[in-house]
Amino acid sequence: MKRCIICIGNRFIADDSAGLAVYDKLCEMQPFGAEIDLVEGGVSGLNLLSFLENGGRVVFVDAVRRMADPGEVVVLSAKDIVSTLSQDHFGHEAGVPYLLSVLPKVCEGELPEEILLVGIEGGYTLQTIETAADLSLTLALKGMKDLA
Amino acid sequence: MTKISKRINLPINRAEGDLEIQVEIKDDTIVDAWSAGTMYRGFEAMMIGRGARDGLVVTPRVCGICSLTHLTAAVEALDEITGIAPPDNARRLRNLALMVESIQSDIRQAVLMFMADFANHDAYQHHPLGDDARRRYNPLEGESAIQVIRETKRLLQIVAIIGGQWPHTSFMVPGGVTSIPEIAKIQQCKLIFERFCQWYERSILGCSVERWNRIKSINDLEAWLDESSSHRESEVGFFMCFSRQVGLDALGKGPCRFLSYGNYTLPDETTVKGVGGRLFRAGFSTGVEVEPFDSSIITEDTSHAWFEKTDKALHPFAGETKPYASGHSGRQYSWIKAPRYGGQTVETGPLAEMIINGHPLFQEMVKDKGPSVFARELARLVRPVSLLGAMRIWLEELLEKRNETFYFPVGTIPDGEGAGLIQAARGALGHWVKVKNNKIAHYQIITPTAWNGSPRDSFGVRGAWEEALVGTTIKDIHNPVEAGHVVRSFDPCLVCAVHCIQKGRKKGFLTVGV
Repeated sequence: MKRCIICIGNRFIADDSAGLAVYDKLCEMQPFGAEIDLVEGGVSGLNLLSFLENGGRVVFVDAVRRMADPGEVVVLSAKDIVSTLSQDHFGHEAGVPYLLSVLPKVCEGELPEEILLVGIEGGYTLQTIETAADLSLTLALKGMKDLA
Repeated sequence: MTKISKRINLPINRAEGDLEIQVEIKDDTIVDAWSAGTMYRGFEAMMIGRGARDGLVVTPRVCGICSLTHLTAAVEALDEITGIAPPDNARRLRNLALMVESIQSDIRQAVLMFMADFANHDAYQHHPLGDDARRRYNPLEGESAIQVIRETKRLLQIVAIIGGQWPHTSFMVPGGVTSIPEIAKIQQCKLIFERFCQWYERSILGCSVERWNRIKSINDLEAWLDESSSHRESEVGFFMCFSRQVGLDALGKGPCRFLSYGNYTLPDETTVKGVGGRLFRAGFSTGVEVEPFDSSIITEDTSHAWFEKTDKALHPFAGETKPYASGHSGRQYSWIKAPRYGGQTVETGPLAEMIINGHPLFQEMVKDKGPSVFARELARLVRPVSLLGAMRIWLEELLEKRNETFYFPVGTIPDGEGAGLIQAARGALGHWVKVKNNKIAHYQIITPTAWNGSPRDSFGVRGAWEEALVGTTIKDIHNPVEAGHVVRSFDPCLVCAVHCIQKGRKKGFLTVGV
């Protein structure tokens, strides 16, 4: 099974940098012992679609807001992510909820079997980043079912 | 500013709260406007003291959709400092990548962001083309919207191939490029490109590029529209029909002064024709009177921005980015400085390029009625026409000359200063860089949105879209779609902002004072 971890966010905006702090941590942790594609997704928005056409399991890592208590790490399903879509209009910044909403209509390869998001709420510590990195790896390897 | 009595939550740029526009309305007409960037970014400050080449890695990450554009500006500034012009093959690859990014952005902006407003049910439920517009442009499901996402996604594969990495490639370096695509990869780029061209001609233009290029006047454009149903049903044709009925050709005039830095430096040996060594000419124009471009008269005014004040507006080689948000409340209202050309507010973007390149259709439009939402957006929809021919030639030339060099060795970056001045999808983008002891001593960036969305300057003169909003009639202040048309015709983008997943997210908004 193909596995992919896509860390997203903006390195230059503290409130949005958690996903990329996890990316840096995951880079340090390589090799993973299993084949996992690790992607620095940044703020690429719609341009990440090509990573969602290879089937398998995709785990996004990103900062989240108003999803949990500050410092907590949460896991969202694809359905949870799409449910955050509150706009009826989108721009260049279209993010993961937009991406997942249009994916079934534009996918030309194989849709992922499972899409999850590891979210980091509020300010983060090294400990939070390590927790999120470990969780991302576990989810990429085993998926949500096995985690439970 | 009059008392604000009503605040309307309009996703003016869908950039999640980092752009706010206030307008004052009298008798249903906007009589004044204020555009505010609401977030300090300060990329320039974080560059100081870094390695001379770090701009090639840092600045492409500033923006998710203009990644290659920032990379190009950064490398061109270093090219100027080293004094080493890259080899022809590197020029071809750099230009191709930048063109892909521009085309992708143009089509996505036009269909997913601008024409999405045509699907605004409350505003256009009685428009004769309203149902058709919703079928085409409804966000997340419109037929044209979905098609555009699919086709522009494919086009980006060219960047992944020639950049050797996606996203965040830094394949452009002083002296050339780091990747040498194999013949099979260039052939693959050609296939992707030709497939895209076919779709662009069929769906966006409704005709061949050659047929479109025969349009030289407003009469030619009208004749083209009448000529066939494929023209009328194309995105350009539909845009024309819909726009005509809502008067977009009389909306959003702006300062009527244009700026283009020029773009796409030509290889020394190529059959692509340009002006002054570039495919797109650099220049400034008042109306359609074009003057040569002079980079020395660009300044940044901080009188209405939350930055430390200087005695006078400074050239970006002398300018600083020091946030200072205390005092003067009311006068200062934006985290965007006010760039000026020769002290004047200018508009930049595809329409500016058309005017400065001397495109007769757009020159006639501006002479006839002045700049407008219609002219601006049409220029964006058809700008790829000016690029596709050169792209085809450069792909062919790469196949023929693949054995020639892609890189001239460059050692340590010497002390010096250089500017990378190019055209991003949204208009003029500049990186001004000084290097000392192999470190960055100075870095200033002026983005297209800074030009178009600037606040007032020390003379109280409005920025481009502030000016363009004045005179706009708003039929329903609870659904001010007309103001949205005006601002979106400039393609506002502050995407380099916070964009994490959240519940109850804040949107950019338009505030209406009545």
